[in-house]
Amino acid sequence: MSQELSKHIVSSFDRDLEGIQAHIMKMGGLVETAIRDAAKSLETRDEELAEDVRRRDASVDELERVINDEAARVIALRAPAASDLRVALSVLRMSNNLERIGDLAKNMAKRTGVLVQLQPIDGAAASLRRMAREVELMLKDALDCYIQRDAELARDVIERDRDVDQMYNTAFREFLTFMLEDPRNITACMHLHFIAKNVERMGDHVTGIAEQVIFLTEGSIPADKRPKADATSTDARFSPEVGEVSGTED
Amino acid sequence: MYDADHNRTESRVSQNEIKISSRNVQVYYGDNHAIKDVDVDIEDRLVTAFIGPSGCGKSTFLRCLNRMNDTIPICRVEGDIHIDGEDIYDKRVDPVQLRAKVGMVFQKPNPFPKSIYDNVAYGPKIHGLAKNKSELDDIVERALKRAAIWDEVKDRLDASGTGLSGGQQQRLCIARAVATEPEVLLMDEPCSALDPIATGQVEELIDELKQNYSVVIVTHSMQQAARVSQKTAFFHLGNLVEYGETEKIFTNPQDSRTESYITGRIG
Repeated sequence: MSQELSKHIVSSFDRDLEGIQAHIMKMGGLVETAIRDAAKSLETRDEELAEDVRRRDASVDELERVINDEAARVIALRAPAASDLRVALSVLRMSNNLERIGDLAKNMAKRTGVLVQLQPIDGAAASLRRMAREVELMLKDALDCYIQRDAELARDVIERDRDVDQMYNTAFREFLTFMLEDPRNITACMHLHFIAKNVERMGDHVTGIAEQVIFLTEGSIPADKRPKADATSTDARFSPEVGEVSGTED
Repeated sequence: MYDADHNRTESRVSQNEIKISSRNVQVYYGDNHAIKDVDVDIEDRLVTAFIGPSGCGKSTFLRCLNRMNDTIPICRVEGDIHIDGEDIYDKRVDPVQLRAKVGMVFQKPNPFPKSIYDNVAYGPKIHGLAKNKSELDDIVERALKRAAIWDEVKDRLDASGTGLSGGQQQRLCIARAVATEPEVLLMDEPCSALDPIATGQVEELIDELKQNYSVVIVTHSMQQAARVSQKTAFFHLGNLVEYGETEKIFTNPQDSRTESYITGRIG
């Protein structure tokens, strides 16, 4: 159902649905900022900004609660059908994805608090920030295509998660190399690796949001598997014992 | 591999036999073209709901299925309607016999001003379904049980049918309709005059009746259509716009007019 539908006869129903979607957008905006600031605080070793990111996560959690309550209310009182039902279901799932991304950003900020006390690892923070930047842009596009009900752009966002996975693979190798070079890097690299994994997971949640846009516009979630390029958990060549990790270039 | 079939609810439609089949059906009230070119196959042993705004033709079409429209002088029906492969508008078909086979329940409960027993016994008597009093007693009891009202009335079968509550009266009318052993049961907004409890009882009954009959229900309550039916037909301005599995119609309709109607955008 791609064409624009007219307003409901009961106009308060429109206001309810618009209200929930406005909350989703607000939540999305907060989460975008959280990703950006968490990555920035990591690169600039800004403890105060990191602390701020952690504090602001409470508003994201609160918005998730509000959205869940409102969606439950609409389902109970309005008995939505077809596209209205899909709006109610999609906001529930999207708020859950956004809340998870918010948590991951908060965790990044927490680790930044530890990392500022350790010797910096050359280039690591900058490449994590690039990775976070890519996820932030994906999230922005996912939220834009939600508003515009643009399934094509949503498919593009899903496709771009592959790039994030590849960035994660590269970071994984880099950190392994740093740890092999000097065991004193291990603590920092372990934290950096968790951060990289966090950002990679954020990409998966953004993919989940983009899938909701397709669900909303087309009535079903695409059956084809999402692209997966994170090879670190399945490919032994990423393990130093196998002897293929020889440097940071890739 | 996950088996998607496990995920299906009770409303899943099995491949039932076609009970009623209509082709190119047109209905005119004088110059007014009320039903336009309706093709539909209604399956046996499930509930089919007709939905649509007032004046869309859903009741008119329902009334074609047991030739109730014959009683309206200015009404003209064209096209083919077959039940079990038999053309019900054939000259040799006796409308009275047809209506015994295709029972009907109306919007307002309309029991005869007679006893509960006589209300149910009337049809079997005129159709000669009982050889003697004890057979008739059995038929009445069976029909009242099937309409889930036996326990409430078994001790007062001689009391007047009109003295029952609205929900009981409607179930009595359903008992009256099933007493002649019909194969199809048409229901024209059977719950619109009932409270939610009585509505629930009638809906529960509809769910049971589909074991034995092909049930066709016209309803203004989309929630009721969603609750009781396995297939839904949406009528708009005399056209059958969309017909399919109820689950699909209410989650992902294909026609924008259906979507607009079920989401409360057009009346």
